Amino acid sequence: MRYFAGIDIGASTTKSVVINESKEILGRHVVKSGADLPAAAQVTYQQALREAGLQPRDIHLIATTGFGRHNFPGAQRTITEISCHTRGAFHYFPRPITIVDIGGQDNKVIHVDGTGRIINFKMNRKCAAGTGTFIEEIAYKMDLPLGELNRLAKESVKDLRLGIYCTVFRATEILTKIRIGEKKEDIVRGVFCSVAQRIIEMDPLEGDVVMTGGVVAHNEIIAELLGLLTNKKILLPPEPQIIGALGAALIVIPYAEEKV
Amino acid sequence: MMEIFQEWYDHRHEYAKHWKKKNKNGKVMGYFCTYVPEEILYAADILPVRILGSHEPQDVTEPHIFGMYCPFCRDCLAQGLKGRYDYLDGIMISQSCLHIRQAFTSWQIHIPISYSYYLPMPHNLQSKHARPYLRNELAVFKKSIEDWTGQKITEQKLDEGIEVMNKNRRVLKQMYETRKAEQPPMTGLEAMYLAVSDQMIDKNEHTQVMETILKKLPGRKLERSTGTRLMIIGSEDDDTAFIKMVESVGATFVVDDHCTGTRYFWNEVKPAQDRLQAIADRYIDRPACPTKDWMNRTRINHIFRLAKDYNVQGAIIIQQKFCDPHELDIPAIQQMFKENNIPTLFLEFDVTVPIGQFKTRVEAFLEIMQEEDLF
Repeated sequence: MRYFAGIDIGASTTKSVVINESKEILGRHVVKSGADLPAAAQVTYQQALREAGLQPRDIHLIATTGFGRHNFPGAQRTITEISCHTRGAFHYFPRPITIVDIGGQDNKVIHVDGTGRIINFKMNRKCAAGTGTFIEEIAYKMDLPLGELNRLAKESVKDLRLGIYCTVFRATEILTKIRIGEKKEDIVRGVFCSVAQRIIEMDPLEGDVVMTGGVVAHNEIIAELLGLLTNKKILLPPEPQIIGALGAALIVIPYAEEKV
Repeated sequence: MMEIFQEWYDHRHEYAKHWKKKNKNGKVMGYFCTYVPEEILYAADILPVRILGSHEPQDVTEPHIFGMYCPFCRDCLAQGLKGRYDYLDGIMISQSCLHIRQAFTSWQIHIPISYSYYLPMPHNLQSKHARPYLRNELAVFKKSIEDWTGQKITEQKLDEGIEVMNKNRRVLKQMYETRKAEQPPMTGLEAMYLAVSDQMIDKNEHTQVMETILKKLPGRKLERSTGTRLMIIGSEDDDTAFIKMVESVGATFVVDDHCTGTRYFWNEVKPAQDRLQAIADRYIDRPACPTKDWMNRTRINHIFRLAKDYNVQGAIIIQQKFCDPHELDIPAIQQMFKENNIPTLFLEFDVTVPIGQFKTRVEAFLEIMQEEDLF
């Protein structure tokens, strides 16, 4: 049996996945990327190996992806996160899909045909509105633990809407909402709603919509809201945050023969 | 052998200052738009240099130009405000878009200069009135230059001006045409330095250097693989950092549709008895800027032709942020490429571009085109 690893070195977190040639996930690990990307990649790789019960020498090929993809010297291939998220999402949903990936600093909308080929993709421009960083900023401004946001939003019963652009202006708008006595649950739901709206205005969502990335992994209410706003069923793979790393590992399987 | 063009580009100001010293009483004219008839300037022994930005963040234009005007026009004005063009004797513009015109008028107001000229280049070039209109405007402009320099521009001088420009265009086009080869003998980055430096350097000198290089160019082997053949399309573009990045990840730009590139030099003046009419016709018939490309949109066919002739596999369409005329054309350009199965990538440019983010997009774009590898 051959083993493969994918490492997704993202703007916020670094993810590793170890799989076998039957495409089964044997180990995975997520750490904050921090300021030392090679170290983060190494840590998460070692931890994923440990979970898989494997040694580095057991790994046949390693592929890296993500914004820091060139920060792991041991990799045989580097592939962009666009291709890796596509491969990872298509693994679970092999049909025409639109992938919505919300990451720490990037939003991606990727259109994929029935054979798994990318038709086209869009990413947010310079602005980080509607990304993970936006949510972190709002949690900080509202003095709420990041891990509580999903639960709070679920308790909301009011459809409160906020504008969809600019993190800084959103924070100001939220202050206004607080001043007029809106409940924090409703405001947080409004924040997630604005993330979903930001996605909708990026590009038309066609076919089945699959969401990936850390933001939806920790806040699945975004999938619910996106479904509500688009009248579409939103699909989530089992572990949305590691889809990019999984895709990287899957992509290199066919290259196993070349290495021998 | 192509290094000289980058040297000229990097030392554009030193070059112009040196030129002035060499040509006693020589005047240097800074121009803002490529619809400026350089034939008449060369006929008057004036060195035209195109005013371009420096791609550095700056803080001097905010009081003079609205924030939602394009980064390019702000960058151009910043160069003036910072005194980098202090050697200019005059500035001029042909009407193209309001943004660059704002840079021009602000320059007139805030940077003392002895001569400035606004040439009312018509917009509706497809109207039958455009040709006589522009011809007469060129006559007024010629008179203005004569009054400024105190020298008459004779028919013979006009012919010389036309010949300088035509010869330069012809040789530059021949240089570009070597890029049709399966292994182009120059990179897109070198081509950008080549074409943009042409707008800064005395055409006589530039042509002479090109002619020498052109002889050796077809035999030149680059120590890199060509990769995916790309075209780049947009307004002005001298973002060398972007071109360099794209060409470092498995692609080569083989042709462009930029006013810093092909649109600038693609066609020649066809000699005629009425020289001014011949010059006017050249500017009316050149590959159009989107501000002048209506009622019928002629650019799309022209771009398609270039893409075919240069065997383009993918196109990067760039837009200077807030450039409405170009933005208006983008859906039509994308549609044309889609119908011809040529993938496109759209990117929005600013004074500086986020190279890291753009690299991911460009690499993903190339992965899609070479996707047998991945899927």
